[in-house]
Amino acid sequence: MEMLLMGLCMSVFGLGVAALAFGAATRSESSDATVQPELPLVTAAAPARFFSDRVPVPPAVLPRQVPIEILLMQIENHVRLEQAAAESFVEFPTQALLHSKTTSPFVN
Amino acid sequence: MTHDLLNGLPSAEIEGILALGTRLIVPAGTSLFRLGDTADRLFLTERGRIRLTLPMQVRGKEEEILVEERSAGQTVGWSALIPPYRFTLTAHAPLESEVIALPREALREHFSAHPAVGYKIALNLAIVMGHRLQLFQTMWVREMQRAVEVRSA
Repeated sequence: MEMLLMGLCMSVFGLGVAALAFGAATRSESSDATVQPELPLVTAAAPARFFSDRVPVPPAVLPRQVPIEILLMQIENHVRLEQAAAESFVEFPTQALLHSKTTSPFVN
Repeated sequence: MTHDLLNGLPSAEIEGILALGTRLIVPAGTSLFRLGDTADRLFLTERGRIRLTLPMQVRGKEEEILVEERSAGQTVGWSALIPPYRFTLTAHAPLESEVIALPREALREHFSAHPAVGYKIALNLAIVMGHRLQLFQTMWVREMQRAVEVRSA
């Protein structure tokens, strides 16, 4: 009986040691397998914008500057439309006509 | 040709006024007067068009911006009758135009001799000036309204 118990204890101890050894062996293998791939280094960090007033707009988003001749024509067109609107108001003064909308690109 | 400045005058009186003036051909693209010039003549437009402009900075360059355009029958340059007798706009013709230039001194002498004509012309001038004032105060309020909307948006 004593011998049987001794044998049982030794087997349980041996099994525990074997389990520990197996666990240690498998942990090291899995940690090696989960090593993250090396990421490329970020050479220029983006500027922090949390407290910045100005958010830089990418150049591609900026509207193209119209030629000066076109701009001058638009100004003249705006003046003519505004005069026509003012003429309408002077002819028949109402609050609605005073602030009537025109098709001028300067106000739309 | 009916001129806004001579409205309501008998034809004999109109002839008398026009006889004081000189007909001028303004070639296309040339100036009739410039901002700040001494205003010693009033102009009645006979044909063509006269552009009245003011200088404005556009992209760092001075450009003449249209303020008003006058055509046949309309008066240009009433600064000639109002102190300090300086033009407050530049006038030029985009196409060949014809005007009658009425010298201030000749008009003053004529009005002294014919007060009823002077009175009628003064009333017509008040109509021309009053109309322009109404137009520009309306345009000013419209621009102000937009400025307020942009500022409070």
